[in-house]
Amino acid sequence: MRKLLLLIILLVTLIFAGGIWYGGKLGDFIETETVGSVMCLSCMGIE
Amino acid sequence: MSRKRIVQIVASILQNAYIPALFVGGIYQGFLKRGCAPILNCWGCPLALFSCPMGALQHFIGLHLIPFYIAGFFGTIGMVVGRMTCGWLCPFGFFQDLLYKIRSYKMPLPKFFSYFKYVMLVGVAGIIAYVTAEPWFCKLCPDGSLIAGIPLVLADRTGDLRALVGWHYYMKIGILLGVILFSITIKRFFCRTLCPVGAIYSIFNRFSLWKLKVDQSKCIECESCQLVCPMHVGIYRHQHDIDCIRCLDCVKICPTKAIKHEIR
Repeated sequence: MRKLLLLIILLVTLIFAGGIWYGGKLGDFIETETVGSVMCLSCMGIE
Repeated sequence: MSRKRIVQIVASILQNAYIPALFVGGIYQGFLKRGCAPILNCWGCPLALFSCPMGALQHFIGLHLIPFYIAGFFGTIGMVVGRMTCGWLCPFGFFQDLLYKIRSYKMPLPKFFSYFKYVMLVGVAGIIAYVTAEPWFCKLCPDGSLIAGIPLVLADRTGDLRALVGWHYYMKIGILLGVILFSITIKRFFCRTLCPVGAIYSIFNRFSLWKLKVDQSKCIECESCQLVCPMHVGIYRHQHDIDCIRCLDCVKICPTKAIKHEIR
């Protein structure tokens, strides 16, 4: 039972890690860099 | 100085190490912003090297896109270490730890306030961001005021930013002041009640590979762990508590060594 639980946890972790890889393929990294490189006026409280 | 404190200091510096901003102004724009900090650290901070995962999440939600990267990022960290990054790597958490050291009246926080952070996550950073296409949590975030709003406006040489300061800026300063005051009297007030990043990681506390384990046969229920815990968690009662940030202070303080950390 413990081993099965561990296996499920590892599998779910791998699925999440796959999400990072898939998001990167879709251009999420570049999008994050682009939006993160702009001075965030909302964060500063400036309209 | 404890090992945790050293890690908190080093992590805070490493995540905010864009020194050129001190001399030339502006914010860091480069390759590292593709990566997210594993905690809440405003990407508007002039020194920030990484993106804020909550800002990025709201950005993708606002664009009505499935945030595969950010969901995978939160999920991977959460599945491996649960909420550990809040305890060891978060500069705003570290800031609250220091605030709580100020001698003042201290008060407990009823447990039900802990669930308000899910309202912030689902309601403000989720539904409202989706409907309005605006990062509404960022608009309220006190960390943004502390490390982005105040320093950038103070260092504004041209006066362009200062000219834009209005009610929203002062409202955020008010929220920051409120959080500071509450953090002096309540342990990690923001982390426990408002932080949506902590809310996400807290879901994984029950399932994470690395976890705390309490040997009930050794526990004498002295409550030393709860007293020393920066989140005021009674780990002897709930070893997977949503507010446990795995700082391991309880492991060190336990007189009977009933609390251990282990990999499943």
